[in-house]
Amino acid sequence: MDAIIIETIIKAIIVLSVIAALAGFGTFIERKVLAFMQRRLGPMHVGPFGLLQLAADGIKLFTKEDIIPQHANRLIFMIAPIITAATAFIALAAVPLLPEFTLFGYTVHPIVADLNVGILFILGAMASGLYGPLLAGMAQANKWGIIGSARTAILFMSYEVVTGLSLLAPIMLVGSLSLIDFNNAQSGGIGEWMVWQQPLAFILFLIAGFAETNRTPFDLLEHEAEVVSGYATEYSGMRWGMFFIGEYANMITIGFMASLIFFGGFNDLGFIPGFLAIILKVSFFFFLMLWVRASWPHVRPDQLMWLCWKVLMPIALLNVLITGLVMMV
Amino acid sequence: MEQIAFYIFSVLTIGLFLVTVLSSNVLYAMTSLAAGMVIISGLFFLVGADFLGVVQLVVYVGAIMALYSFGMMFFDATKDIKEKNTNSYLVFALGGMIAVMFVVIFSAPVIGENIQATYFVTGATNPQAVGLILFTKYLIPFEVAAIMLLVAMIAGIILAGKKMDDSLTTRDENHEEDTTFGLKDEK
Amino acid sequence: MGLEKFKDRNVGIQQYKVVEHEAFPKSNAQKFARVMKRMVKGELFVGLWVTLRTMYQALFQDDMHTVKYPFEKLPISPRYRAIHEMLRLLESGHYRCIGCGLCEKICISDCIKIDTKYDENQRKEVTEYTINFGRCIFCGYCAEVCPELAIVHGGRYETSSQQRASFSIFEDMLTPIDALSSQKEYPGFGAVSPNADDNIKKTPLAY
Repeated sequence: MDAIIIETIIKAIIVLSVIAALAGFGTFIERKVLAFMQRRLGPMHVGPFGLLQLAADGIKLFTKEDIIPQHANRLIFMIAPIITAATAFIALAAVPLLPEFTLFGYTVHPIVADLNVGILFILGAMASGLYGPLLAGMAQANKWGIIGSARTAILFMSYEVVTGLSLLAPIMLVGSLSLIDFNNAQSGGIGEWMVWQQPLAFILFLIAGFAETNRTPFDLLEHEAEVVSGYATEYSGMRWGMFFIGEYANMITIGFMASLIFFGGFNDLGFIPGFLAIILKVSFFFFLMLWVRASWPHVRPDQLMWLCWKVLMPIALLNVLITGLVMMV
Repeated sequence: MEQIAFYIFSVLTIGLFLVTVLSSNVLYAMTSLAAGMVIISGLFFLVGADFLGVVQLVVYVGAIMALYSFGMMFFDATKDIKEKNTNSYLVFALGGMIAVMFVVIFSAPVIGENIQATYFVTGATNPQAVGLILFTKYLIPFEVAAIMLLVAMIAGIILAGKKMDDSLTTRDENHEEDTTFGLKDEK
Repeated sequence: MGLEKFKDRNVGIQQYKVVEHEAFPKSNAQKFARVMKRMVKGELFVGLWVTLRTMYQALFQDDMHTVKYPFEKLPISPRYRAIHEMLRLLESGHYRCIGCGLCEKICISDCIKIDTKYDENQRKEVTEYTINFGRCIFCGYCAEVCPELAIVHGGRYETSSQQRASFSIFEDMLTPIDALSSQKEYPGFGAVSPNADDNIKKTPLAY
């Protein structure tokens, strides 16, 4: 009993520190990739290839003054960024990050909490992540913040439906809600990947994932051209930084989910060992998010709702229905 | 261990819901209600009902509370609300009566059957057990609830959709230019 | 070159491409057809391909457009009017200025101060010559009026300063005597730029 608790605590600390560092590193990668796609160099001067820009930004964020507006609700204003960051990491608790490996004769399962309802737990934790932007916007007594949080509520509630329905069809095929079962169901190489059976579900999940992580075609929450910075208008320093750590951690989570559910997870891929395979897959999805941000314009809020309720949700329902019929026959 | 966790969770839940009731600030009430919902899902996890806990998280925290807060957005959330108590004795009496009524309603079956898990499902995981019970023993209540939700949805659409024909955002059909770019879908 | 080429003033259709766009769909069926067409046609992937190609070109084909400014500088036009330079005579190395004072007279912002005296050969000698760059508006009149091409505009354009008045004296602006061989003749700020022929375009007037 005690061993499990200690092991879980150690795993939680490792996941927290590694993913937080990776989330910070993600901002650097994003700036670099976007710069290359616009024929720029990106950050270059702090350290080799600008690698230490990350540390410089961190120091800047930590030492910045933590401004709380005069008419804001102090308590809620202060806890809102923590909700975003915390739920992002709580969601990661149910994700199997790497294949099992043996360290000093002790078999390590790189998953913090092996729930048998892992997928639902991740969705639920990410759904409660909406309270971060929502409360932040409502507490700061700023009209841009209010608009940003209204958009948060609408966007998250709508696209959760699509995420859930799109994942329902693969769940029906595998017959489990555990991500490890999903991974084991696709252990037979590329031919058994879920994406070949459920291409539509994958596309829907990807679109909804972009919306849930607040990435570009759908990043209306803090759309600079319309609402100054949305829910983050009044934030500064580390509280502002926490929103972004949460956002990037969510991007990593969505990358892991897409890899595990649709792309064979951490099974060995030919000559590539499993742990490398999943890192490559997640890196690809992370790159895809940056790539899309460099390429495509935003949608309008009404187009966003149109896309969700009139296009994606009916398609997702049809997909579930057809999958069910095929399974019955 | 589990008892300690149970007491912590119950005290937290009651405390947070008390804040919800007693606070005159919309933002505090909303936040504590949402946090209470999260902690209730913690109670479910504690007794091993993972599926119900997660559903509590997804449905109550993710959807219903978000809808509430969306409604709250039309108020100035940073200000306190001035309550108008015309007759505090009447409110007290009515509230107390309702509370007593609820206690009687919920405790009657408990006392009657001495709360026993009547329908045991063995050899099935958590979601499967819920599904089995839901679609065998409790099929009729389940379907009735579904029909009620459907009725509510249709009513909502009718109430909200009365004025959908004259939209505020898109232009008149007759004056629509032929060369409009973009994704106009609604009239 | 014949005259008719210049008489063809209709610039609107020469190099411009008219973008065709389809009519706005009226009925629901048309709208649905458009949505389906856009979905299948893969217009979004064209955008993705463009950015990926740009990234490839920037990284591997040396098509990076960033100029790391303090370390790299783009060449400026010879007609650019930056900080003044005083030129020397190429044969003797003596400074060209004859102390006529025209630049001081014509300066519209009163920033040039010149003082002269007769030397032993009864030639004018410049004893004091300063330009206040805090006042100078770089209009170029001094260089234009100079009969000897002695004061010209050079290429030093990074002129930020911590003080409002920033004086420059004659010796600072004068070409160093050991750099005399590399002194370039200034074509004057009204001169045509070296690539002027390439830049000539027709005036887009319809009449």
